[in-house]
Amino acid sequence: MLSALLIAMLTAITVWWLLIQRLKDKPWTKQGVLPTSQETVTSSAPKVGLWVFLAVVSSLFGLFASAYMMRRVGHGGLASWQPLDEPNILWINTLVLVIASGAMQIARNRIDNDDLNGGRSYFLSAGLLTVVFLAGQILAWQQAHANGNVGADNPAYSFFVLLTAVHGLHLIGGLFVLGRTTLRIFRSVDAANVVARSRIRTSVQLCTTYWHWLLLIWLGVFALLLST
Amino acid sequence: MAYVAIADRDHHLHDPTTFIEKYIWSQDHKVIAIQYGSVAIGVGLVALVLSLLMRLQIGFPDTFPFITPYNYYQFVTMHGMIMVIYLLTALFLGGFGNYLIPLMCGARDMVFPYMNMLSFWVYLVSVIVLLASFFVTGGPTGGGWTLYPPQTVLEGTPGHQWGILLMLLSLAIFIVAFTMGGLNYVTTVLQARCRGMTLMRMPLSVWGIFVATILGLLAFPALLVAAIMMILDRLIGTSFFMPALLSLGEINGTSGGSPILFQHLFWFFGHPEVYIVALPAFGIVSDLLSTHARKNIFGYRMMVWAIVAIGALSFIVWAHHMYVSGMNPYFGFFFATTTLIIAIPTAIKVYNWVLTLWRGDIQLNIPNLFAIGFIFTFVHGGLTGLFLGNVTVDLPLSDTYFVIGHFHMVMGVSPVMVLFGAIYHWFPKITGKMPNEFLGRLHFWMTFLGTYAIYLPMHYIGILGMPRRYYAYGSTDFIPSSAHSINEAITIAAIVVATAQVVFLINVFYSLRKGKQAPDNPWGATTLEWQTPQTPPVHGNWGPKLPIVYRWAYDYSVPGEAKDFIPQNEPPKGHHSLASS
Repeated sequence: MLSALLIAMLTAITVWWLLIQRLKDKPWTKQGVLPTSQETVTSSAPKVGLWVFLAVVSSLFGLFASAYMMRRVGHGGLASWQPLDEPNILWINTLVLVIASGAMQIARNRIDNDDLNGGRSYFLSAGLLTVVFLAGQILAWQQAHANGNVGADNPAYSFFVLLTAVHGLHLIGGLFVLGRTTLRIFRSVDAANVVARSRIRTSVQLCTTYWHWLLLIWLGVFALLLST
Repeated sequence: MAYVAIADRDHHLHDPTTFIEKYIWSQDHKVIAIQYGSVAIGVGLVALVLSLLMRLQIGFPDTFPFITPYNYYQFVTMHGMIMVIYLLTALFLGGFGNYLIPLMCGARDMVFPYMNMLSFWVYLVSVIVLLASFFVTGGPTGGGWTLYPPQTVLEGTPGHQWGILLMLLSLAIFIVAFTMGGLNYVTTVLQARCRGMTLMRMPLSVWGIFVATILGLLAFPALLVAAIMMILDRLIGTSFFMPALLSLGEINGTSGGSPILFQHLFWFFGHPEVYIVALPAFGIVSDLLSTHARKNIFGYRMMVWAIVAIGALSFIVWAHHMYVSGMNPYFGFFFATTTLIIAIPTAIKVYNWVLTLWRGDIQLNIPNLFAIGFIFTFVHGGLTGLFLGNVTVDLPLSDTYFVIGHFHMVMGVSPVMVLFGAIYHWFPKITGKMPNEFLGRLHFWMTFLGTYAIYLPMHYIGILGMPRRYYAYGSTDFIPSSAHSINEAITIAAIVVATAQVVFLINVFYSLRKGKQAPDNPWGATTLEWQTPQTPPVHGNWGPKLPIVYRWAYDYSVPGEAKDFIPQNEPPKGHHSLASS
């Protein structure tokens, strides 16, 4: 519940921070076109959209984390919580996801500099590493199963599978977009179409942000799992 | 970075060419709004019929053999869930959000039209899944709209077989739909406003819808988390929420789960949900009052700040729904305090509405009747909320008809009054026809007086101690026979109010076919949606050029001006009109 409170406060602060400058306007005193006004849909619309979506995703994981902590402390339910022996492979998986995020960043830097050829292999590797991460997570489930203390009646195990699965599903969603963008990159490497290249740049930037954020969320989830 | 603004592109934005693209798989925000609105009203009528069946049972017990206790609880549950989520949330945000945001902000459409279209179709799937639960073994769930475990998933509760699963699944699908729509509403407000439309020049309707959407995006995940975990509890026997218990004489397989955890998750969503419904209503009613009283809204900045403050505070009051759950009394103290604090910005809004009417040139048009009616019902429901927000007063009143009276007044009748006001207000723009005056007034008076006849006496029988959620009361000492007579009267009033909604539907269909042709701006309103070149607005909304905004949305009765309103896109005197890019 504490983290739920924290989310609420962070949200309030963010909204306040976003609006503070503009909320002081006295609109009834000024007429004419004001300098702060916007023209029309700008290139940042997809980015804003992504950040709003990431806020939703963060809220989802934050609430899962709250539920995790409340359930662990329990309401007289301590007996049923048997701490899990976290599978060691999770460390390797984490490393793989960090490298994937790094590769994504390199791809982004190169493609931002109009070097589609140089960027695409990194972009593709980021995708492949993510697939490796997901396979690793499935191995982790098997390892956890082998370690014992499993079964539907141990909430520690249920939460472990649930949190990794929900995180994995978000990555799979990302992989879908990554796949489409990769196809677009391979199609237009040689083409000089400015609009197509601009769209690719935007897509790669969005993917990079998404991957970094999901890495952060995974680190948070992993820390939460390790803490018990 | 090279980027071509949508308005400057040489091809039109997702221009529809066939009938199907125009009216079915449409990406036009106005069509999607009408689709959302029609489905929401359709499913809302189902919930209305369910409430009548409940009232028939309570008013005249032992009269209707087809209403069994089993059915009664299913009616209660489905009525509540449909009204709150599938009608109010969908109609305010999916319906009016979709219609008004691009038009009021001066945009051609939402920024992600394809996702917007998906949002509606996914919403429709969620409604179909929900209604499907009427036709499965055991029928829909009867666990109450709050779906508290463990009883919702235990044998003996109606719909524990399939009903609860379909309910949770439907909610999860709804949340996906809402997220797709919500991303659009927020991003469109932030990114697609026309030139000159600063945040502080936006009409309050857009402010209300904008902040409510942010609340929804952050709060619905709590319901999703709860739904996923309860589905797992029900299907594969995890024990997130399920404690060890005896059910029908047998020890259940689960152990250690926390039902209170579900309550926290549910209400962390559930309380912001109240404001997800209320904030758009606050915004819209401000615009209705200002337009029909021919006066600028009193305290515009205060109104915006209040909307933002209420939105932020709504995340830290949720446990006032759980005073009787046995939680730590210090928590109760904390949540009672935050609950009372949230009354401050809310009261500011009420004062400002009244002061907007004060010495205004009040036009008693149908939308204004509903808007003024809203002030009554909202003040009424809000004041009883102060009673229930205090732990010590809440304890004896909890689970009585006082609570039913309170929340129906504050988040049932009040938002619905605004919805009707909004439908009558924008009907000329949406359809190009004027609504019928007589039928509209009849609808208002029957609904307004009728709902008072329903909910005012409920406070009284609540204070008597009459508990809610009972199928029949039999004969008890503490419930006098007069309370039973009141219940009969309430049921009759409910039938009258339901009939009034038939009058509304007749009005909609009659006016669509035979209504007077609507002028472009029948109410003399300043906001952009009334300044479109066509009525109803065509695809792309604005013709070749986007509007430019020169002033705020409330220039009514400006001293020294010939007209009593100045549209937002009218340049100031001596100012050359800018050519839009």
